[in-house]
Amino acid sequence: MIDLFEIARRFSEAQVEFVIVGGIAIRGHGGNYITEDLDICYSRTNDNLKKIASVLAPINPRPRRFPENLPYIFDWTTLQHGTNFTFETSMGDIDLLGEVAGVGSYIDLVPQSLLVDFDGYSAYLLSIPALIIAKRTAGRPKDEAGLKVLEALLEASKDEN
Amino acid sequence: MSSSAREKLLNPKPGGKIAEARDYGIDLTMLAENLHYTPAERIKRNDQAVNSILKIEEAVRKAKAAKKAKTQ
Repeated sequence: MIDLFEIARRFSEAQVEFVIVGGIAIRGHGGNYITEDLDICYSRTNDNLKKIASVLAPINPRPRRFPENLPYIFDWTTLQHGTNFTFETSMGDIDLLGEVAGVGSYIDLVPQSLLVDFDGYSAYLLSIPALIIAKRTAGRPKDEAGLKVLEALLEASKDEN
Repeated sequence: MSSSAREKLLNPKPGGKIAEARDYGIDLTMLAENLHYTPAERIKRNDQAVNSILKIEEAVRKAKAAKKAKTQ
């Protein structure tokens, strides 16, 4: 059973500095996209890496497609040795991104995000215009439908506060 | 988003991005329906949908294995 919402809620509870991007962000804005992974862009400070590790460690993160018979040691220093990570966990897959192409790093993303309620905790969701920029920059054929959805939602939300 | 956003999705302006999405094949009624929920509720509904799909995939896997065992 996956529970991507609960992973995001735990990040918020632990005061991790992160922004939800990708399919879950599209879903959060109203898209009819179904996705199996949670993509977040995160702050790379040591303090934040420790908080991320404290949330992920109990749900056994391992790199996706990592051989099952090989041991994998995960702690906050693991996160120091890279920028982008694709983990599978007991609650679903999570991608940690140091930067989103076309939009920037965590500090660039925050002003382009909405703070939304996650059952009493707050989390940033990348805005529709910023998601459109990210999808256009990525230029992947698989993102075409998501881009159409985002553009439609943006037009629908115009003239609203 | 408000009911006016839902209205725009259900009655696309010709030549606009909503009409373009409809012509591409996006189900605008589903987008309008999603706007009834909060962002948190939408994400929870994603999890429920994925879990349902995973259950179906598991059932299909079991059925195929059972069929294979029967024919052997």
